Amino acid sequence: MLVRRRHLLAGAAALAVAPQAARAQAKPRVTFISQWSSGSDGAAISGLGKRFEEEGGVWQHSPVPGFTTDMMNKLRAEIIGGNPPAASQLKGPEIAVWSKIAPTVNLDPLVAAAGYEKLIPAELVGLHKPQGHWIALPMQVYRTTTLFMSRPAMKKVGADKAPKTWAEFNALATEMKKAGIIPVANGGIRWDDGMKLEIALSGINCESYRGALMKLDPKALKSAEMLQAFAQLRKFADWMDPNIAAQHYSVNLPKFLKGEMGMLMMGGWAQGVIKNLGGNLDDVLITSVPQDEGKPVFVLNADSMIFWARKEPDLTAGQQLLAKLMMQKDVQEKYSQTTGSIPVRTDVDLSGSAWTDGQREASAVLNESFKSKRVLLSLAHNMAQTNPITAAMIDVLTEYVHNDKVTPEQGVARLAAAVDNARG
Amino acid sequence: MKGRLGRYLPLLVIWLPLLINAGHVVGFTAWTTWLSFTPSDLLPEYDWAGIRAYRAVLRSENTEVAYINLLLYGVGFVGLTTLAGFVLAVLIDQRIRAENLLRTIYLYPLAVSFVVTGTVWSWLFNPGQGIQKFVRGLGWADFRFDWIIDRDLALWTIVIAAVWHGAGFAMALFLAGLRSIDPDLHKAAQIDGASPLRYYLRIAAPGVAPIAISVLVILLQYAIKTFDLVRAMTGGGPGIATTLPALVVYDFMFQRAQLGRGSAAAVLLLLSLLLVLLPYYAWAHWRARKERAANG
Amino acid sequence: MDKALRPGRWLLYAVLIGFALFSLLPLVVVVLNSFRTAVEIGRSSVIGWPEGLSWQNFTEAWGGYCIAQRCEGISPYMVNSLKLVVPATILSTALGALAGYSISLWRFPGDTLMFTIVVMGVFLPEQMKLIPWALVLRELGLTNTLSALVLIHTIQGLSFTTLFCRNYYIGIPQDLLKAAKVDGAGYFRTFWRIILPLSPPILIVTVIWQFTGIWNEFLYAVVFTSGQQQPITAALIALSTNGTVVTNYDVMSAAVLIGALPPLLIYLFGGRYFVRGLTQGAIK
Repeated sequence: MLVRRRHLLAGAAALAVAPQAARAQAKPRVTFISQWSSGSDGAAISGLGKRFEEEGGVWQHSPVPGFTTDMMNKLRAEIIGGNPPAASQLKGPEIAVWSKIAPTVNLDPLVAAAGYEKLIPAELVGLHKPQGHWIALPMQVYRTTTLFMSRPAMKKVGADKAPKTWAEFNALATEMKKAGIIPVANGGIRWDDGMKLEIALSGINCESYRGALMKLDPKALKSAEMLQAFAQLRKFADWMDPNIAAQHYSVNLPKFLKGEMGMLMMGGWAQGVIKNLGGNLDDVLITSVPQDEGKPVFVLNADSMIFWARKEPDLTAGQQLLAKLMMQKDVQEKYSQTTGSIPVRTDVDLSGSAWTDGQREASAVLNESFKSKRVLLSLAHNMAQTNPITAAMIDVLTEYVHNDKVTPEQGVARLAAAVDNARG
Repeated sequence: MKGRLGRYLPLLVIWLPLLINAGHVVGFTAWTTWLSFTPSDLLPEYDWAGIRAYRAVLRSENTEVAYINLLLYGVGFVGLTTLAGFVLAVLIDQRIRAENLLRTIYLYPLAVSFVVTGTVWSWLFNPGQGIQKFVRGLGWADFRFDWIIDRDLALWTIVIAAVWHGAGFAMALFLAGLRSIDPDLHKAAQIDGASPLRYYLRIAAPGVAPIAISVLVILLQYAIKTFDLVRAMTGGGPGIATTLPALVVYDFMFQRAQLGRGSAAAVLLLLSLLLVLLPYYAWAHWRARKERAANG
Repeated sequence: MDKALRPGRWLLYAVLIGFALFSLLPLVVVVLNSFRTAVEIGRSSVIGWPEGLSWQNFTEAWGGYCIAQRCEGISPYMVNSLKLVVPATILSTALGALAGYSISLWRFPGDTLMFTIVVMGVFLPEQMKLIPWALVLRELGLTNTLSALVLIHTIQGLSFTTLFCRNYYIGIPQDLLKAAKVDGAGYFRTFWRIILPLSPPILIVTVIWQFTGIWNEFLYAVVFTSGQQQPITAALIALSTNGTVVTNYDVMSAAVLIGALPPLLIYLFGGRYFVRGLTQGAIK
C-alpha cells in the first residue's frame, strides 16, 4: 500500500510510442484534465476537442473546477489511484517534477516526424524534455511583459507614444496622477503582484532577471538591480487604485477602457479578456513594457500538456492523434486566435486579419528576443521555478505590494530569505 | 451454539464499523505524523529527515501570520457567536410571539455550506458591488465599507460571515439548555420576586454552563479547521492577510506539493486542537466524577 | 400590565428582529438576484429589487448553463448529490445509532478508549486526510466514483453520529434495560423493542446534521469524482471561480439557491425537531 518513490522512479521510464497507429483498432480516445472550464481557455480547449473528434477520436475532457491547485490535486489523486488521464495540463518546471512520479509517454518519434523541435524557442524545449526526450507539448505562448495603454487616458495627458524606459514610465504615471487618472490598472492578487516584480526587473536588466529569478543566484538576488526593481515595484503599488487593490485586474477594465485608468502591465491574454467584456481594442495601445537596456526582452509563459503512460490501445492511439494535432500549424493558429496567445511554432504567419496587432507585435518581439537570446521564463506564472519556490517568493512579493511599511531593502532581504527557506 | 452466535454477532456488529472508523483515525494521524518527518514532496517518501519540515514550516511567513490570525479569529468568532447565541436564546425563552419563525430564521444559515456562505458574503463585502456600492447609491457618497480589501480589517469580514453561520447553532444549544432547567426553579425565582435578569445571571447561566463549554469547544474546533470559508471569501488575501492554519496546510500539501511540510503543518494544527480539547476532557472527567460522588 | 407594552419588551423585539435581518440578508440578496439580470446587478449593486420577475435564471441554471463545456445546467449534479447523500446519511446514522447504543448500554472491554478515538475523528482536518484516502481508494479500486464518496462519508460520519447517539442513549434509564434482560431479550431485540422507539429525537438530529454536512462538502467531492459524477458543490465552484471572466451574479444566484435548497428545506421543516432533539440531550 505504501507508495515508494524508488518503485515509481523505476516505472517512470517512458514508454515509446510508434508514429504509425499500427495496432489501434478501437477509436482513438483521450481522457484529459485541465482547469480550463470557461472563458477563452475553455473555448480553445473545446475547439481542440472538436477537432479531435473530427479526426475520428473520442474526446473526454473533465475540467476541474476551481484553481490550478484543484486540478493538480485531482491529477495527483488519479496518479496515486493508478488511473492517470491520458493527457493533462501541466507547465514549466513542474513537468520535470511530476514526470518523476508516474510514467510518461516518449513523444520523440512523433516530434521528429513533424520536425517540430527546431521550430520552437529553445527555452521551451528544455522544459518539455526533462529527462532527455519529449514527454509534453507546449500549447500556446504568452508574453507577460506587455504594456496596455488606454488611448483615452493618453489623450487626456497629451501623450502620443508609449514610454520606452522606466524613467519615462514614471514621468508619464506622475502626469496621469496629476490629471486624476489612476496610473496603474493592475489588480492585487498573488500572481499579479509577482508579475509586477518580474516586469520591473526584466525591464531593468535581462541578465539580472536570469540570474536572480531563474537561477536563484544569491548575488543576483541581492544585487543593485534587484533593489531598483523593488523600488519600482513600490511605485507601482502606490499608483494602483487603493480601493480595489486586492482584486483581479479584470475588475479595473471598464474604467481602463474609459480612460479613468492609464496603464496595465499584463500578459497577452488580457487582450482576450478585454474582447470578452465587449471592449474595443482600438481604445488600447498594446506594446512592450519599458526596457532600460534598449533591446526588447520577452518574458514567456506557456501552457502545456503532458502525456501519461496508459496501456489501453485506444488511449495510446488517442495520445498519438492529440500530439500530432497539437503540433500542427492550423490547430495552433485556431487555438491562439481563440485565446489571444501566440502560437508555439515560430513559422506561423500572423499577418492575416484573424490576428490582432497585439499578437503580431508580441510575435515579432519573440522572434527578435529569440535571436538576441533575451527570452526569459516567467516567475509569477510558474515557468521559472517549481511551485514551492514560486509560492514562497510570491508570498514575499504580495506582502510587499500590500504593506507599504516594507522598504525595498527589506523586500530584497525577505525575498532572498524566502528562497533559502523554500529550498532548504 | 445459538447462544454463542448470539453473543458474538453483536460484538461483530459493534466492533466492525467502530474498528474501521478508529482505524482510519489512528492510521491517518499516524501516517501524517510519520510523513512530517520525511522529505516528501509530491508523493510520500518514507526516509527520515528529522525536524527539517517543522523548521521550514515554522520559519515560513505564512505560518506566523496564520496563527496570529487564528488567535484573533478564534477569539472573535467564538466569543461573538457564543454571546449572540446566549442572548438570542435568552430572548427567545421569554415566551415571545413567532418563536418558531424567528428560530428558523436564526437556524437556517447552518444549512448553507461554507463555500456558499463565503461566496455570498464576499459579494456583500465587495466595495464595487456590495454594501458599499449600495449605500453610496442611496446617497451617502463617502460611505466606506471596504474591510475585505484592507489588510488589517479583512479578517473581521470572515469573523462576521462565520458568526452569521454559527450563531443559530449556539442559540439552539443554549435554548436546549435553558429549557432543560427545571421550570420549578424559574417559578420559585419569580415567586421570590427576583427580576428576570437576576434569574438568568444567578440560576440559568450556571445551569447552562456545561452546555456553554460544549458550545465553546465545538466552535473552537470549527475555528481551527476553518478552510472553505476563507478560500471562498478571500482566498487567504489580501496578500496573506487572512490566511489560517488549515489554509497553510493546504498550501504546503497541495499548492506547493511539499507533503512533508504540509504534514508538519497538519501536525501543528492537531497539536493546537489538543491544546483546546485536553483541558475540556479533563474538566468533563472531573465533572463526571463530581457527579458520581454527589449521587453517592 | 400588558407585557407587549413594556419598554423592555420593545428592546427585546428590536434585538431579535435586528439579528433576524442580519441573518436573512444573504438569503434575500440571493433570492432577489436570481430574478435580476447581470446587467442590472452590474449597474447598481448585489443588493437591489428586481426590475422584472423572470424565471429565466432558474431555468438556465437548472437546465441550460454551461459548466465545464457541458450545457445541462446543474440538474445532473443535483441528482449526483442525492445519490451520494442519501445512502451515506442512512448508513452513517444507522451504524452510529448501533455504535452509540453499544458503547453506552452494553459495556465491553475497551469501550471508553474506542469511544475517545472515534470522537477524535470529529476534529481531524480534511486536508490532512486527502492523500491517505487517495491511497485507500486505490487499494479498493474505487477511484473516481460516487461510491468512493459514500464510503468516505460513511466512515467519517460515524464519528459524529456515534457521539450524538451515545450521549443520548446514556440518558436511558438502566431499569428499562434490566427489565428487558429479565425478559430474555438479547442485544438486537433490546435495540429493536426498546431503544429504537425512543430514538426519533436523536435520529432526526443526526440525519439533519449528516445530510447537511455531506451535501455541502466540497474538497473530497472535487478530488475524488470527475466530470459527470460530480456532486453539486463542485458545480457551484465551477460557476464562481472564473479567474478571467467576471462573475454572472444572476445565474450564479439562481444556481446557489437551487443547490442550497435541500438542506434549507430540511432545516425549514425539521428545525423544530432539531432543537427538540438537542434539548433531549444530544450534546453533553
